[in-house]
Amino acid sequence: MSSVEESVKPREGGRSPLTLVWNAFSATVEFLSSVKFGVVLLCILVILSMLGMIIIQQNVQGFDAYYASLTPAERTVFGTLGFFDIYYSRYFNLILLILSLNIILASIDRIGGAWSHISSPKLFGTPGFYKRQRESAEFALVGSSKDEVAGRIAEAFREQGFKPKITKTADLDEPSRVRMGISEDNAQDGPVYLFGERGKWNRMGAYIVHVSLLTLFLGHFVAFQTGFDADVNMIPGESTTEIQLIDINLDKHERYAVALPFKITCLDIEQKLIDPNGSIEVFNTLDWRTRIQIEDPQYGTTVADVSLNNPFSYRGYRFFQAQTIPVGNARTMKLQLTPQDGGEPFAIDLMRTGETKLPDGTVVAYEAFMPDFTFNQRGEPDTRSADYNNPVAVLQVTTPGGQSERVFAFASNVSDDIPVGAPKLGYKWRLSEFEKSPLAHVLSIKYDPFNGAFIAWYFGGFGLMGALVFVFFISHRRVWAMVGDQGPVGEYDVVIAGDTNRNHLTFEDKFKKILMRLKGEAAEQDKEI
Amino acid sequence: MSQALSADDLTGADIKSPFMQYLPAMLSIAASFGVLFWRLQTTNFPSDEALMMCALAAYLFAALVQLMNLYAPSGMAERLSLWTATIGVFFNLSSWLVRWVAAYEREIGMLRDAGNPETPWMFRYIPFANLYDLSLAFAFGAGITTLVFLTRKNFAVLAAFTLPLAALILTLARFIGSEFIDLPPVLDSYWRPIHVGVASISYGITLVCFAVAVIYLLKDKVKPESMAIWASVFSFSVIATISKFSILTEFVYRAGIFIPGQTPADKAFFTPFRLEIPYVGPILAISALLLLGAIAAFLAYVYRENLQARKIGHGLLAAAFIFQLVAIGFWVNGVGAIKDVYPRLQTQIQQNPGQVAAAGKELVSKQNLSAQEFAAITPAQFEQAGQNFLQQTGSSMFLSLKTNPVEFSGLITGIAGLFFVMLFSFRTETLRKRLPSLEALDSLMYKTASLAFAGLAMLLITGAIWANESWGRPWGFDSKETGALVAWLTYAAFLHTRISRGWRGRSSAYFAIIGFLLVIFTYLGVSYLLPGLHSYA
Repeated sequence: MSSVEESVKPREGGRSPLTLVWNAFSATVEFLSSVKFGVVLLCILVILSMLGMIIIQQNVQGFDAYYASLTPAERTVFGTLGFFDIYYSRYFNLILLILSLNIILASIDRIGGAWSHISSPKLFGTPGFYKRQRESAEFALVGSSKDEVAGRIAEAFREQGFKPKITKTADLDEPSRVRMGISEDNAQDGPVYLFGERGKWNRMGAYIVHVSLLTLFLGHFVAFQTGFDADVNMIPGESTTEIQLIDINLDKHERYAVALPFKITCLDIEQKLIDPNGSIEVFNTLDWRTRIQIEDPQYGTTVADVSLNNPFSYRGYRFFQAQTIPVGNARTMKLQLTPQDGGEPFAIDLMRTGETKLPDGTVVAYEAFMPDFTFNQRGEPDTRSADYNNPVAVLQVTTPGGQSERVFAFASNVSDDIPVGAPKLGYKWRLSEFEKSPLAHVLSIKYDPFNGAFIAWYFGGFGLMGALVFVFFISHRRVWAMVGDQGPVGEYDVVIAGDTNRNHLTFEDKFKKILMRLKGEAAEQDKEI
Repeated sequence: MSQALSADDLTGADIKSPFMQYLPAMLSIAASFGVLFWRLQTTNFPSDEALMMCALAAYLFAALVQLMNLYAPSGMAERLSLWTATIGVFFNLSSWLVRWVAAYEREIGMLRDAGNPETPWMFRYIPFANLYDLSLAFAFGAGITTLVFLTRKNFAVLAAFTLPLAALILTLARFIGSEFIDLPPVLDSYWRPIHVGVASISYGITLVCFAVAVIYLLKDKVKPESMAIWASVFSFSVIATISKFSILTEFVYRAGIFIPGQTPADKAFFTPFRLEIPYVGPILAISALLLLGAIAAFLAYVYRENLQARKIGHGLLAAAFIFQLVAIGFWVNGVGAIKDVYPRLQTQIQQNPGQVAAAGKELVSKQNLSAQEFAAITPAQFEQAGQNFLQQTGSSMFLSLKTNPVEFSGLITGIAGLFFVMLFSFRTETLRKRLPSLEALDSLMYKTASLAFAGLAMLLITGAIWANESWGRPWGFDSKETGALVAWLTYAAFLHTRISRGWRGRSSAYFAIIGFLLVIFTYLGVSYLLPGLHSYA
């Protein structure tokens, strides 16, 4: 034993604290990087996720009734363990974090081995190596020389898509020759080795999957940490510089106003109905469209449409159609005016929030719409319900002389004797047609300043999909052959072997095709002999 | 494992060209599109439901022929099974495509009747709108995956295991009902065909993976009696939980009650009331007891090698099977024969008045009240809500097998499971010899699990991207999302245990079975049992 070796030998009576720390660290890293640990984490995630499916979560519709149905003990236990919001609990996120670490460490641990398949493929091996492969066969082929036989095998490889590499024993370096048990004297007459492979980059597929998964986790984490969800009511003609952030804590839903760096104005809302005369319920709807205008002190004015499945993005804010306030209203109205002086009735069109001028200079402006007109307890005009049972357009009419009055245009025939239905300012007013729309649209707003969700799902998600296709639809297939010594009737001993990391059934077919091609040649040779 | 081949072992028959391998699958798809073209030319055409029934019949026939082929092998039976399965897939896909056209024509008719000139794009009507549509596509996914692998050497046997499952899914679809829904606008996205299409094919692949796992276990000398224990546990659990646990607690089966939709074409509504069907409860309770006896007897055989117990177990299992068949008969007959639903329900309520308050509570819980508002409602108010509902709808109430598709399918699946384990117990060794080698089965199981893993990943990702485009949140842990994630994680664990622990064969087979059960839970359980954004499907 040399002095150097003696100097590194651990002292008797115990290891140094540094060594102990290092060993503990190594053991921890080894544990964290093990696939076994990863599988355990996956199983824990499965159990927690299933728990979250069985116990209704606080952000799911119906939670309030479910929560009310629980006993105080159940509420306390589930609440303390975070079961009502399990997916956002600290321990769930911690497990995701540890899983990410496991993926990183396991990848680092194994990527070297996978890379060696690409950087230094195994071009030759001992007969024992060939026999240990999943597919192997031994037979004899007659030929004029080893090189000629090797050439025919190479051709068979090539036919099945394997680019052959031929290595002669003489070309081997000494360590390889020694390892193979071939002496220098026999090197000139030694075997000829063939190697062919396809899909070697498939070995890196698992790591691309892991990178994609981590991108997905990271993007999602960034979006979650730096962004928020909110909503805003859009009523035509109204503007706001605030949106409502919703915070759910068990059965309490609290709203906070969050200031926007710009002003949003709702220009128009539209509900495309299947049956325009039907209700404004979801089942009769093709689409909702909200036209908004953004006035930004920094970037000027922008006008955009937001419809279902067609969000609008602006400075990290994304606007989505979320829901409506389904109180009957009208987007456009056609009014029929019958002059009191006996003239012919005529029609005018009026937009919600708009106004129009009559030929005599009278200005008709929209004021409100009531779907089910009634008088409330204070005797004021009001709507009884949200349904279109007795629709009326409330207008502000101003004559050229400056006289202004509130006018009710009913869709139904209202007697002239009733004050609200009586002719006013020279006309009998009727609401002849109108395009149904709800009182308001509610846009949900996702603020994601770093586009974390986009990066997560478009890069991470599509990357994952591509990587999985690459991993499972392509396999690393390798074939080897060794042309050995010549026999008494000029035949050469041939060993052929093959293996694949996936899709063995298809590879087996390919391997058999190589053998059949060579078998055919051998049979022809037998006949000739 | 090395397998030394002699060149003389090889014959050309071992290797099929890819074209021949995929020919049945390609033919069935091409012919289905031919049917679509034909359907577009005419309105006088068989309905999608009729075509679905043809697919169901073809799947069952192909499975039956293949089962017979297992015991009495013949090339003729193998070919007959293959081509009948091809015809089944053809009818299955044709049914789905014809439904697409029918959905288009239905809504265009509604638009024109209402004087609306708008013509929405064709993909709005792609039949991926409800559980019926998804079931058709799921069965097709299973059928086409089976066809792809069926032509491989020794894998014809697959049809005997996968096609009965595909037929079960179509049976479920039959009981769900083929009524069209008015599509919620948020579903009118090009992501829907991508997302749900991937789901159907992935689910189909998991079904095939499950079938391969079962075949593997059978080949690997797992005793049919061990399988019988699990089949009995499943069947017992179904009986114990259906009808809100009333079979084993009250010896009564109560079927769900419908009230009609707004028009005859509309889907009927569920009511919170259930009506007792005579005889079904006691017969199922007896069957459950017989199953418990069978489980005990088989446990004695498996763990103590008690041959007498084995014999008794098989007797009890056969009796339980027969009792369940009889119960199904009474159920179907009772649902069809009982027309005076409301008077019977009133009599039932007189005997057990608590049902009204329970129904009222269920009705109120759907009104989106806050926890405080809900807690403030008194039992009398719940009862009043139930009474009001009864008075408003009682006279229009009716029974239908469609009210309980999951319960009905659960029972049918249990019966099918018992049938198969009884079949496996018959000449088991002969059967094992006819099955492919363990290595080939393991390889196919790995291949299908890999495909399922990739497919479920695509399902999750396309769903997340769609959700991000529609709601601005890619992932919200909705119950269906979580269900799919759980199934995906299970397949991830399956694949990684092969790396970390070298788990192959039997261990992998157990993972494949668990994975498929989770997929079924996501497909059915989430839709019927759990709230969420995917409740329509």
